[in-house]
Amino acid sequence: MRFLPLFWSGIWRKPGRTVLIFFQVSVAFALFGMLQGLKTGVDHVVAAARGDLLIVHSRLSYLAESLPSGLAEQIQAVPGVKLVVPVEIFGAHYQKPTEGLGVVAVGLVEDWASAFTYTISPDYLAAFQGLRTGALVRDTLAQKYAWKIGDRIPLMSNTAQMSGSTNWAFDIVGTFSDNDVGAGRYFILINLAYLEEARALGKGTVQHFNVAISDARQAVMVADEIDRRFANSSRETKSESLHELAQSEMQSIGDMNFLIRAIVAAALAALLIATATMMIQSVRERSLELAVLKAVGFTDRAVFLLILVEALLVCVAAAACGLALATFVLPRAASFIVGLSMPRIVVAVGLGLAVLVALISASIPAALAARLKVATALVNG
Amino acid sequence: MRQFLAILRVNLSGAGQRIGSVLTIIIGVACAVGVLVSMLAMGVGARRQAMENVRDDRVTLTSVGARDDQSSIPRDEAVVARDLPGIRKGADGEPLVVFESLVSMEAGRRVTGTRIFFPLVGTTANFTGHQPEIRFTDGRVFQPGLHELIASNACARQFVGFGIGDRRPIRGTDWTVVGRFDEGHSLQCKVYTDVETLLSAFNRNTYNVASVMLQSSSGYAAFRAALQANPALHLEARREREGAEEEFKGLQGILDFASYFVGTIMAIGATLGAVNSLYAIVDSRRRELGTLRAIGFGSGAIVASILCESLLFALPGALLGAALAWLFFNGLSASPFGYNFQLAVTPSLGGIGIVWALAMGLAGGLLPALRAARLPVATAIRAA
Repeated sequence: MRFLPLFWSGIWRKPGRTVLIFFQVSVAFALFGMLQGLKTGVDHVVAAARGDLLIVHSRLSYLAESLPSGLAEQIQAVPGVKLVVPVEIFGAHYQKPTEGLGVVAVGLVEDWASAFTYTISPDYLAAFQGLRTGALVRDTLAQKYAWKIGDRIPLMSNTAQMSGSTNWAFDIVGTFSDNDVGAGRYFILINLAYLEEARALGKGTVQHFNVAISDARQAVMVADEIDRRFANSSRETKSESLHELAQSEMQSIGDMNFLIRAIVAAALAALLIATATMMIQSVRERSLELAVLKAVGFTDRAVFLLILVEALLVCVAAAACGLALATFVLPRAASFIVGLSMPRIVVAVGLGLAVLVALISASIPAALAARLKVATALVNG
Repeated sequence: MRQFLAILRVNLSGAGQRIGSVLTIIIGVACAVGVLVSMLAMGVGARRQAMENVRDDRVTLTSVGARDDQSSIPRDEAVVARDLPGIRKGADGEPLVVFESLVSMEAGRRVTGTRIFFPLVGTTANFTGHQPEIRFTDGRVFQPGLHELIASNACARQFVGFGIGDRRPIRGTDWTVVGRFDEGHSLQCKVYTDVETLLSAFNRNTYNVASVMLQSSSGYAAFRAALQANPALHLEARREREGAEEEFKGLQGILDFASYFVGTIMAIGATLGAVNSLYAIVDSRRRELGTLRAIGFGSGAIVASILCESLLFALPGALLGAALAWLFFNGLSASPFGYNFQLAVTPSLGGIGIVWALAMGLAGGLLPALRAARLPVATAIRAA
């Protein structure tokens, strides 16, 4: 501790240079934090996806195929299944064809909301239950169009009503938030019973079932058992947990691994050269001072460590600064990934890399300083 | 000017002694430019693929206000649309119009086994005349009325179950893959089948979109007018290029944002490095610069020479960075966000990289150049 003033004066000998190096290291680690944070953060989001929620859809196609709603009872009979909710999905647009949104019709069985990833207040749930044409709106969507509770929203879609009209209208009874990565931001929930009654085609079929199971660890077994019950029938099913679905949703970002690594490597390589050159320059300029230190009894080793510690202090402080910035920016920049936050491990690895950069880049200048000949340095200085 | 050149020559002749500082600038700039160019190469590659097969004489018809699978064209309108004026006739004398039905299908990825979607396009039998860019490499065209598929070679490379003779279950029936084709250089998987077979399999009664080949691309306005004037048709026409641009806009936006975001951060880092290095260079030459000032060199010439030196160091950095990007990333396949394409490092990207590098050189050289010009002559000459 008593050497602290010595480190400090070394660091601030040329404030301009130190500040520039500090910023350069910060910038590099902010970039590292954001890129690696995105990659690792996505892995964490996938890991956090609910494993106790299965989506049972047609084996033939996830989107283009439907299942008879009557399958619900058979699925309910599978051991381990807690709750089965039929779900129908269709696309619609608001005012203009470019303003697309999803319509999710859910069967309002008891406690249906527990088989979804949505957060809905009890008041809104009750209001939704109470109005056949009611709709719950995803908070981000309500914000986008400034919709309020009580508004009646007209939507256009490909799904025809009994009258032949493809225009629909729903009364907003509440809003909700969602923490599922794959679900998108713009959709509304409506009452499946109302849709069944009003639509012209596809009556008695749904697009998938949301199935809550009692134990996430048995997800694979329960899913297999459900699929086995419908195997070789005309309505073969495929059951996947939200966890598995999140995995394939996020696959695309995993494909960027190579690019992310290349960028991080380039940034760190540039940084290494820059810090090493600056430190060498600094040691050269300070040869007189270092020689004096040695003359008053500092060993070669102590001088070596002095330079090393100076580099360490600057690099680690700057990296911490950059990583803190990345932690702040990441969830905002990548808001399309719901629930993304900076994983601690990325911060830890970042600080580790900062130590590494400091040690490698300072090793040459530190060795130069340690080998400094006192007499010649004093004479030349 | 003579002063400027003289100082510049002195500056550069000393570069060898300050190799560390010079290398810092060159490598910093090279890394920043390399990263920017390789990231922009994604956008260029994706665009090249999206636009490759676009033809100016093809026009897409959809129902008014709708896109792709949201659109629906009833059969009675389809019959009328075939007889619109200005449509090119095929070898058989029939108008080159295809009606398509689009279904999103699921496939297993070859390497990871994860699920991914590809478009299954039902199309009319004359589509080979209408899409000359399709080149069969294996097998034959599907037979109307049979459950047969043809798949682009990209499908077989990415997914399992697209060999000739492979059967895929769709709607409870096995569909056989009978042909494989290339669609330009596209890496995007696309599967075609007979549209009527597809419609009946999916209980549909309307087509999604129609594509028309005009006699010439200049006939577009007349064709559009004829379409709008026909009261039996509730369709709208768009050039194939417009549709492709619109579809591509979203991906382009994401890729461009990511490229310039990361590129800017790297550039800031490289500029900071350059500033530091140039300060060091200026500092180590205090005596020399002071002497120049003392014997009458203008401060303008000194500023210009330092800036120019900075630009001259940035330039090889840019070339190195662009070359590395080309070496490592040109032609590499990428599949972000479910798209599939090859990165393309083009000369124009190299140009962007050089402009970017010069901006870094200029920004990085400014402060050190000013310091050099402002050196107090007396102390500078005495400096160690």
